[in-house]
Amino acid sequence: MNMFTLFGFADVTIDWAAVGIGVGILVGLALVLSLLIVLISRFCEVKQDPRIDEVNELLAGANCGACGYPGCSGFAKALVEGKADLSACGQTNAANKIEISNILGVTLEGSTEPTIAVVACSGGNKCTDKYEYQGYGDCISQNLLAGGRKACETGCMGSGSCVTVCPYNCIECYDGYAHIDPDLCRSCGLCIKTCPKTLIKRVPVSAKVYVACSTNCRGKDVTTKCQAGCISCGICERSCPTGAIHLVNNVPIIDYSKCTNCETCLVKCPRHVIKHVHPQDDVVAVATDTKDTKATEQPKQ
Amino acid sequence: MNILAIVVAGILSQNFLLVKTMGICPFLGVSKKTDASLGMGIAVTFVMVLTCLVCYPLYVWVLVPTGLEYLEIIVFILVIASLVQILEMVLKKFIPGLYSAMGIYLPLITTNCAILGVAELVTVQAAVTTYLEALVYGLASGIGFTLVMIIMSGLRERVDRYNLAKPLKGFPIVLIVAGFMAMAFSMFTGINIGA
Repeated sequence: MNMFTLFGFADVTIDWAAVGIGVGILVGLALVLSLLIVLISRFCEVKQDPRIDEVNELLAGANCGACGYPGCSGFAKALVEGKADLSACGQTNAANKIEISNILGVTLEGSTEPTIAVVACSGGNKCTDKYEYQGYGDCISQNLLAGGRKACETGCMGSGSCVTVCPYNCIECYDGYAHIDPDLCRSCGLCIKTCPKTLIKRVPVSAKVYVACSTNCRGKDVTTKCQAGCISCGICERSCPTGAIHLVNNVPIIDYSKCTNCETCLVKCPRHVIKHVHPQDDVVAVATDTKDTKATEQPKQ
Repeated sequence: MNILAIVVAGILSQNFLLVKTMGICPFLGVSKKTDASLGMGIAVTFVMVLTCLVCYPLYVWVLVPTGLEYLEIIVFILVIASLVQILEMVLKKFIPGLYSAMGIYLPLITTNCAILGVAELVTVQAAVTTYLEALVYGLASGIGFTLVMIIMSGLRERVDRYNLAKPLKGFPIVLIVAGFMAMAFSMFTGINIGA
């Protein structure tokens, strides 16, 4: 009993000669073609700078296109030719960047700590609207109409221009403004270039707090427009033990080289404008600092 | 079937994309920008001619005499894929300009159904009778493919600027546009020259 009777093909006879010819032709064809490919690949080998492949191996390989070149291999080619600057890539890690700079024989400039992006606005639905926008649903087009619908000049419109460009799907718009997931962000910088209000900023990955407001208005004007905006009271500047915070144009700026992540500013801020970069830190803060959170309103996630 | 009839059939009345509905993947995927769709069209034309050049003699002089017609699909795919691979390397070496223009599209279309379709049509389906006609058919089909790709990308570039209702945005309107184009092209199926 062979396998054909098992499957119910009792009277099938196999023409072994035909099978042999078929297999022979296929194997012969495959052999001839593979030999041709090998020979031609030897003969037609294009000599290119070996550094291009080396650099390409070291780049992040996400092909996000934020550097302005078509993919990482295009960027590697431009780097070796000296046309591009390594700082244009936001997400290759520091060790690889140093190695690339060694290959290229250039000095690496700027900070080597990787960064992530944060949205420097948390107004959203707490910020009043100037008018009701019913046009094409995009921040860029909305911004053309009297600077967007928000009463605040530097308010996030939450229409998601940054959401559509993000190659990692880490931006989401809810509560009326954009939220960046710090665990998914690779700091490619596409959203920073896209945001018409330039509200998205980079902070070091080790940073725990950031300033979630960009307004330049005086405190009194802010209170009428936005319930979540900075009123330039200066408590953070005075309470910071290392002097890392300074009020510039009515909004605090954190110098992360001095910041020790003590979170005093976050606890002291009466408007909760200074926020955790990682939202899950909020829960921990509520659990441990019950004394402080009782005195002030609990920060919303 | 004369040469003129084959050219008209390949470009209009038997158009691969809109009448035979083959090769829809690049039709919807690469038709966002006109220059990209032109590059894709040229690459497809190139590979279609190459396919006819190789598959017709292989079928008529090797597979039919040995009685192995049933192996056509395996043989065709094997031959087309390896020839495109070889062609890519040769282009990279000798004509780098042409390689960079259509280099990224070439490997994408080696196993496209429009390419296999053209091989099947000139051999098994016997749409043509001589070797020369097979070559002309491949060239005309490629030109017809390019024509429709360019029309589609032009329409899409315009449609993308319109403020459409949300359910229609993106691919739904593209499919509707493709449907209208297919209706327009179905008009050409009435043309019958010398057949």
